[in-house]
Amino acid sequence: MIIRKIQIDNYLCYYDTNPFELSEGLNIILGENGEGKTKFFEAVDWLFNGENRELDMLISAKKLNETEIGDSFRVRVSMTVEQYGSKSIITRSFLAKKEKANECSTSSFMIEGISENSLGERTQVDGQSLLDRIFPFQIRKYSMFKGEADLNIFESEGALVNLINLFSEAKHYDKYSEKGAFLREKAEKAVEDSSKLDKKNEVLYKKLEGEMLFFDRERAKYLVHLYSTEEEIRKIEGHLQLAESHVSNADALETLNKRIKEIEEKISYLTSRIDENYTTSLFDENWILVAFESFHKEFANKISAHSKTRRELQSDFDKQKGIKEGEKKAMAELLNNAVPLPIGVPSKSHMEEMLNDEICKVCNREAEKGSEPYEFMMKRLKTYLESQVIEANEPSRDEPLFKFNYTNRLDNLSMSHEDNLKNLRLIRSNIKELFEFNDDLKKDIEELNEQLEKEKTDRDRVLGNSSVAEEKLIDVLKNYNAWQKDLKNRNQEKVDCITKLKNIDSDLKAKKEEKDKIDTNSANSFLIKTRNILRDIETIFIETKEKKFDEFIEKLQTKSNNFFKTINIDAFTGKIVITRRNKVNRKIVEVELQEDGRTFYKPNQSLLTSMHISTLFAISELASEIKEENFPMIFDAPTSSFGENKTAQFLNVIFETKNQKILLIKDFLQTDKATKTLSIKKEFENVRRNKAFWVKLERPFDANNLKTINSQVITL
Amino acid sequence: MARKDDILKSFLTNELLESKYELKKEELPSTIREALNSDKPIIKAIALIVEGLDGTSPVTDSVLRNLVTQFLNEVL
Repeated sequence: MIIRKIQIDNYLCYYDTNPFELSEGLNIILGENGEGKTKFFEAVDWLFNGENRELDMLISAKKLNETEIGDSFRVRVSMTVEQYGSKSIITRSFLAKKEKANECSTSSFMIEGISENSLGERTQVDGQSLLDRIFPFQIRKYSMFKGEADLNIFESEGALVNLINLFSEAKHYDKYSEKGAFLREKAEKAVEDSSKLDKKNEVLYKKLEGEMLFFDRERAKYLVHLYSTEEEIRKIEGHLQLAESHVSNADALETLNKRIKEIEEKISYLTSRIDENYTTSLFDENWILVAFESFHKEFANKISAHSKTRRELQSDFDKQKGIKEGEKKAMAELLNNAVPLPIGVPSKSHMEEMLNDEICKVCNREAEKGSEPYEFMMKRLKTYLESQVIEANEPSRDEPLFKFNYTNRLDNLSMSHEDNLKNLRLIRSNIKELFEFNDDLKKDIEELNEQLEKEKTDRDRVLGNSSVAEEKLIDVLKNYNAWQKDLKNRNQEKVDCITKLKNIDSDLKAKKEEKDKIDTNSANSFLIKTRNILRDIETIFIETKEKKFDEFIEKLQTKSNNFFKTINIDAFTGKIVITRRNKVNRKIVEVELQEDGRTFYKPNQSLLTSMHISTLFAISELASEIKEENFPMIFDAPTSSFGENKTAQFLNVIFETKNQKILLIKDFLQTDKATKTLSIKKEFENVRRNKAFWVKLERPFDANNLKTINSQVITL
Repeated sequence: MARKDDILKSFLTNELLESKYELKKEELPSTIREALNSDKPIIKAIALIVEGLDGTSPVTDSVLRNLVTQFLNEVL
């Protein structure tokens, strides 16, 4: 689409009829401050977006002054556009009627559209619809920029969404991640319902759900903390960079900061290597046994003595047992190997009777007291009586002396300790080595701390040489060190937060697996398979959406950097990086400058402007690719911070870009000090352009009297 | 090529299909029509969703759910 002509009639400083016959490519409109540049921009903006409010404020005072009371005239801005070989004219206008001197009434505005085909046939159409069709509202948003501040399009909240909707196919994938989640949730529910048919599972489920909910909440809490910490870190880094910019010797400061960071990292590394967890060593590494050997010797001696005693006792016992066996054998021999009668035969009472009567009633012989038969009977009675007495301490004939062999166990224990003595003897040297190791590390840390202090003093000295006023510098210095400390703390907080999140994720994963296990054992297998497939489909949908988004960002970034390099040829620029950043409750996209991954938080205005303009040209190029059409871009004073040389360079670069551009700038004009005549500088001849205009107030004029104001349009 | 076919192709290039479902790139359909006749449940399920959301007559959430879950529950 090409704007062939813009005509402004009786609109503010544009008295009567003022046509701008525009060209394809680069159109430059020069003008001093207050001579009509911005009014041109505002007139076009009114054509596109004008409202029915305060129309009387838009009227040319000069025209109103020249109009007779009761007469009317039209205030009008129109645009002739060429698109796909046909012409369209869009006009927004209203009628102004002079009621009294300096007073007028206005009609409502009207927007007219005329469509002209290639044969030159004209048709009246609805102006607003025609405008929206040939130059869609969303594209217009990225076509008109007033001042340098307007160029940062990412400043507004919905900028990225708008860009994606316009130029990226990522927009088509949003609904898939939503529906993917919806289908997966329903499938999860079906599996849960099936599992819960078993009452036992219901209880387990409730427990697991409670735990998972807890972890989810913890996760959300830590994420919020992480994002706010990251935001805080960026803020502090920004402050530090700003502070550094106040310092005259920035290079020295950067080197010092680098060295300080390295030393701090070394200290942190060495501190992490110091192992002073002596309680653990005491028990887990057996340090507690360092003096065990003497106790072991005493123990081993006792065990040895005890073992000897035991063996002696056993030997005695065995001997006694042998003697008893021998006695039995001897008795058997005395009876000529005949089997003796059992003890108690004859019975105790019979034996007593026979002894009393002194007669052996078994063999019917006399047995006087003291005679051999009498003694024999007495012995038999004694044997019987003895057999009836149980001696408590006397072991039964088959019982061993020691029922359990504890002594053997003690022997083994003693031997095992003996074997371990070799290791235990090393403990003392291990302890010594660890203490020495820790001491060495502490010494190194101490040295590093001294070095760190020295570097910090140097840094304070460099900061002290700053060009900033003394009292401000004291603040900067005070804040600088506080910010450094704060940054260190925040970075540590960030690390802690990430670790915590990892742990929560792992706990959550374990609980989910536990839940899945219950499902696998209880729910219908086809429901589980369906759920698993829908889980994968959701993953595919989300990943594809992210991929499309990243591709778009990557493309935008590459295109932006191509422009950026060309605009800042031979100058240091860094790289434009478009990053997605997590804010506490949303994701945003930010454009920033980086060099080797280091962000420039406060680039100078000129760099910032060229960065934003590059992004805009990249967007414009994207629009050309996607819509297969070029759209014009209109900038009012986009390069105020550039300076004339850079502006010339910039204009020569954008001359090469495909689409139509209309630039309103105040450069290349000069006033003769003596005659106060305004003229165009020679340098403008070297600026490549397709068409140029000069808007200047008709001289003479009275700056305090609007009735004398008329901007003339001079085609150069 | 219709937009729905492009969308389908973007999904089918996800490496999960190769790593987990062992589907080779050359076996993958390139249109919704082919995908709807696929004997691989995940491919047909994706095709059903794309057709439901970007086809000639978009369907409601509950219809989409019935279409996809009924199909999967039957074939799995």
